[in-house]
Amino acid sequence: MSETLRLNGKDVAIVPGESVLELSRRVDVEIPTLCHDPRLKPVGACRTCLVEIDGMHRLVPSCATKAAAGMAIDTNSERVVRHQKALFALYLSDNVDAAETDDTSAPSELHAFASKVGAPTTWPKMQHKRFQRAGDRNPYIEYRADRCILCARCTRYCEEVESVSAITLAARGSETTIATSDNRSLLDTTCELCGGCVDVCPTGAMAEKKPLSLSLLPARELEKVRTTCNYCGVGCQMDLNIDRMANDGRGVVAKITSPDAGVLPNDGNLCVKGRFAYQFIDHADRLTKPLVRGEDGELAESSWEDALRIASEGLKRVAARHGADSLSFVSSSRCTGEENYLVQKLSRAVFGTNNVHQCAAT
Amino acid sequence: MAAKDKMERLLEALHEAGGLAEGTAAKVAAELGVPEAQVYGAGSFYHLLGSPDSRLRVCTGLSCAMRGGRKLLALAEEAGMPVSECSCLAACDRAPAMLRERSVLVDVEPADIEKADGDWRAVQGSELPEDWRGRVGPDDSELPMNLGGAQNFTGSALAKACEMGAEAAIAAIEESGLQGRGGAGFPAAIKWRAVRAQASNPHYVVLNADEGEPGTFKDRELMLRRPDLVLEGLAIAAYCLGASDVYLYLRGEFRGPWSKLEKAIEKYSEEGALDGVTFHLHSGHGAYICGEETALLEALEGKRGMPRLKPPFPTESGLWGNPTLIQNVETIACVPSIIRRGGAWFKALGATEPGTKLYSISGDVSEPGTYELPLGASLDEVAAAAGGYEGELLAFSPGGASSGFLPASESGRSLDFASLSKVGSMLGSAGVVVMNTKSDIRESVREQLVFFENESCGQCAPCRIGTRYLREALDRDLQGSPSGKSLAEVAEVAWEMNEGSICGLGQAAALPLTSALQHFPNAFGGEKS
Ligand SMILES: Cc1cc2nc3c(=O)[nH]c(=O)nc-3n(C[C@H](O)[C@H](O)[C@H](O)COP(=O)(O)O)c2cc1C
Ligand code: SF4
Repeated sequence: MSETLRLNGKDVAIVPGESVLELSRRVDVEIPTLCHDPRLKPVGACRTCLVEIDGMHRLVPSCATKAAAGMAIDTNSERVVRHQKALFALYLSDNVDAAETDDTSAPSELHAFASKVGAPTTWPKMQHKRFQRAGDRNPYIEYRADRCILCARCTRYCEEVESVSAITLAARGSETTIATSDNRSLLDTTCELCGGCVDVCPTGAMAEKKPLSLSLLPARELEKVRTTCNYCGVGCQMDLNIDRMANDGRGVVAKITSPDAGVLPNDGNLCVKGRFAYQFIDHADRLTKPLVRGEDGELAESSWEDALRIASEGLKRVAARHGADSLSFVSSSRCTGEENYLVQKLSRAVFGTNNVHQCAAT
Repeated sequence: MAAKDKMERLLEALHEAGGLAEGTAAKVAAELGVPEAQVYGAGSFYHLLGSPDSRLRVCTGLSCAMRGGRKLLALAEEAGMPVSECSCLAACDRAPAMLRERSVLVDVEPADIEKADGDWRAVQGSELPEDWRGRVGPDDSELPMNLGGAQNFTGSALAKACEMGAEAAIAAIEESGLQGRGGAGFPAAIKWRAVRAQASNPHYVVLNADEGEPGTFKDRELMLRRPDLVLEGLAIAAYCLGASDVYLYLRGEFRGPWSKLEKAIEKYSEEGALDGVTFHLHSGHGAYICGEETALLEALEGKRGMPRLKPPFPTESGLWGNPTLIQNVETIACVPSIIRRGGAWFKALGATEPGTKLYSISGDVSEPGTYELPLGASLDEVAAAAGGYEGELLAFSPGGASSGFLPASESGRSLDFASLSKVGSMLGSAGVVVMNTKSDIRESVREQLVFFENESCGQCAPCRIGTRYLREALDRDLQGSPSGKSLAEVAEVAWEMNEGSICGLGQAAALPLTSALQHFPNAFGGEKS
C-alpha cells in the first residue's frame, strides 16, 4: 500500500521522493511557478508556489517541500489566494505592461499566471533599478532588464545544466540583476551561446536578438512544429516556431525553441548551432535539388536517380582504373551513427578500401 | 587547496585584490579555480567589495541621522570628497559616525570635514578608530557579563564544564533559560542538544558577530571589553558539541573588535587555555543580511549572502552541510557565568524573562551606551540608566529597525521577548532608539525603509520589490499626495512581505511604516512640514 496525503480535501497517493509541487501537478492541481525548472535544484525564491500545510506556521514553497504521508495541503485557501494576488501585483508593478510582452520572445509566464490568479493590475508602477550592460556585441542573446524577475532560472541553468557559469546574479536588493563578470560581452566570457538562458526565461527578459528585429507575430501566435536537429547525430528534438504569414505568405521560421524538459534525448537542451543557426532554412544558396556538372562544365539540375547513377559510375570508373585505394570516403558530421555505418560499409565492403573518415572524428 | 578552502578564501581574496575593480574577479578566479562569474556575482553582493573602499561613507542610520549625519554627507560632498551613504555602523552611541575605508570614525563634527581640506583620507573622528569604545554600565562584578569589569580569563568555567561533562553543562544552560540574544530569542539549549545529537561529523560552532541591526552595538562592546567571556563561551560550546573548529564572523567595519579578539585568541592559546579548538576569524564585507544565520553561512562559504530555505536548520545542515551551532556574541558571553554559578542563578537575575540583557540605547538620551539590566526592564528604566531622556519622549524603537516604532505611552512596558511581541513589535537585538518630540516620525520611517531596501538580499520578490514599493509610497506621501491615496496598498504589501518572504528581513521590513501608521497616523499625509 502506498502512503497518502490530503490535497485540497482529497486523498492522493504519494510517489516516493516527489515534492508537493510534483505531486500536485501529477494530479492536475495547478500551482503557479516562476523559478521552477525540473532540471534545476529547487530554490523556492519566486514565492509563487507557496501552499498552506496543516501544522506549519508559515506558507511553504511546494517546490522545495517533499510530500509526506499524512500531510494536509491546501493550494487555494483564502490565505494562499490572497498571497498570490498580492505577490503577482508586486511583480507586475515592477515589470513591463502585458501589452509590451507581445513580441517574438517567450509568452510571459509572469503575465499569464498573474491574470490567472486575478492579481490587481492597478498598483502604481515602479522605476526598476536593474543594471543592463549596454550593447553586448554577441549576435544572439539580449538581456532586457525591464522584464527580469530575477527568478535566476538562467543563471542556475548556465551553472547547473551547462556547467558554464557565464552569467550570474549580481548586486543585491532592488538593484539585483543578471550580469557577466565586469559586464563584458558574452563573447568574452565562458558562454557557449547555447541559448539555454533564453529558453528557460519565463518573461522574455533573456531574448533572442534576431527575431526581435523583424516584424513577426508575437510568440504565442507562432506555430510550433517539432523536428529533429540535423546538425549532428545526437537527434536533439526541437521546435520550429513558424510565422505562416511572413515572407508573403510563404512563411518563415521565426526562431527555434526547445521542447519541455524531459523530452529525450536532449531534455530540452540545445547547442548554439541547433538553436541559432537556422537561417539556412530559407537561404537562397541552399541546395534543394541534386546538381550534376555536365560536359560543358556547368552545374545543372537533375533527378536523384540520375545523380546517384552518375556518381556511382564515376566512382566505379576511378576504382577500375586506379584501384580501390585511390578512393577515399569522408562523411559529414551531420550524419547519424547509422548513416556513418553505411558509409564505411560502402567504402570497405562495396569498394574495398579502408580510406574512410568522418569529418567530426578529428 | 581543497575546493572548500578555496571557496572559504574567495571573498577575502577579492578584498585583498582591492575589491571589484576591473579585472580583479578574473584574477581571483584564476587563483582559486572558481568560475569568474561566480566571483563577480559574489563580490558585487557586498557593498564594501562591490564599490571598493576608496571613499568615505556616512552612516544614515536613525541615531546618526538624528545627530547630523546627513549634514556631514552634504559637507563632504561640497568639499568634493568621494562619499556615499551607508547603513548603520553599530556606533549609534557615538553618533554621528562615518566609515573611512574600513575604519569607523565617531562623534564626527562638521569641523572635522572642514579641517580635512578636501582630503577624505584626512578626516578624523574624536578618537583614533582603534581606540574608541562606548559608555557602559553598571559596573558590578556580580553581573554575568559586566562590561565594566576587566578582562580576566581564568578558564575556570571551561574547566568546570569539562568536569561536569557535556550533558550536565547543557542541562545548566537549559535551566538558565538562556534565550538567543541575536534577535529571535530561541532557547540556546535546544540548539546545543540538536547539534550534539547529530550523528554526522564534524560539528561546527559559529559566532554571529555581524551586528548590523540598526541601533545595536552591544556585541561590539562585548568584544572590545570582554573577549575573554566570548572565547571561553565558544570553547565551552565546542567542548559540549564535540566541535574543534570555531568560526567567528565579524562585520567588516569591526576592525577594533577584530584586533581585540585576535590578540585574546593569541594570548590564551599561548597559555594553552584553548587547546583543542581552532578559531577561524572571518570578516564581513558590508551586508546586513549576513547577520541572518543562513546568509552568514553562505558568506563563510564564499558566496552571495542569500538566506537558505529552512528547514533544514543549521543544527542539522549548516556550514558545508555539517551540523552547526550559530550563536550571537552576547548569548555566548553569558555561558561562562552560567556554568560557573549555575542555571538557577542566571535565571533569577531577570525581571520578566531569564537573565540579564545588554540594552544598546541611543538617540535622545543623555548618555547613550550599553547597559546590562535585568531582562524585562522598561524603556523608562533603560533610559534612566542612560542618564535620562533628552527632551520630551515621542516614540522609540525597542529592538532595532525590525521592531518598528512604539509611542511614548509604552515606555513602561517590559522590554522582553514576550511582552513586545504582544504589541506587534519585538525585542530583537534590544537596540533601543529614543526619539523626542523634535523628531520627525515620517522622516525616521523613511530612514528605516531605505535601510531595508538597500540591505534586502534581493532573492525573493516580496522583500525585494516590497521594500522598494513601500519606500516609493512613502515618498509620494512626503511629496504631498493625500495619504489615503499614496499609502493605499501599504497594508496589503506589508501583509504579503510578512507572509511571502523567505527570511526575517522581509518579514519585518514593513514594520517601521505600519507601526508608525498605527501609532502616529497624523504624521502622514500632506506635504512635508
Ligand atoms: C535580517 C536578519 C539579520 C540578523 N542579524 C543578526 C546579527 O547581526 N547578529 C546576530 O547575532 N543575529 C542576527 N540575526 C539572527 C540570526 O539569524 C540567528 O537567529 C542568531 O544568530 C542565532 O543566535 P542566537 O540564538 O544566539 O541569537 C539576524 C536575523 C535576521 C533575519
Ligand atoms: S526576505 Fe529579503 S533578505 Fe530575506 S531572502 Fe527574501 S529578499 Fe533576501
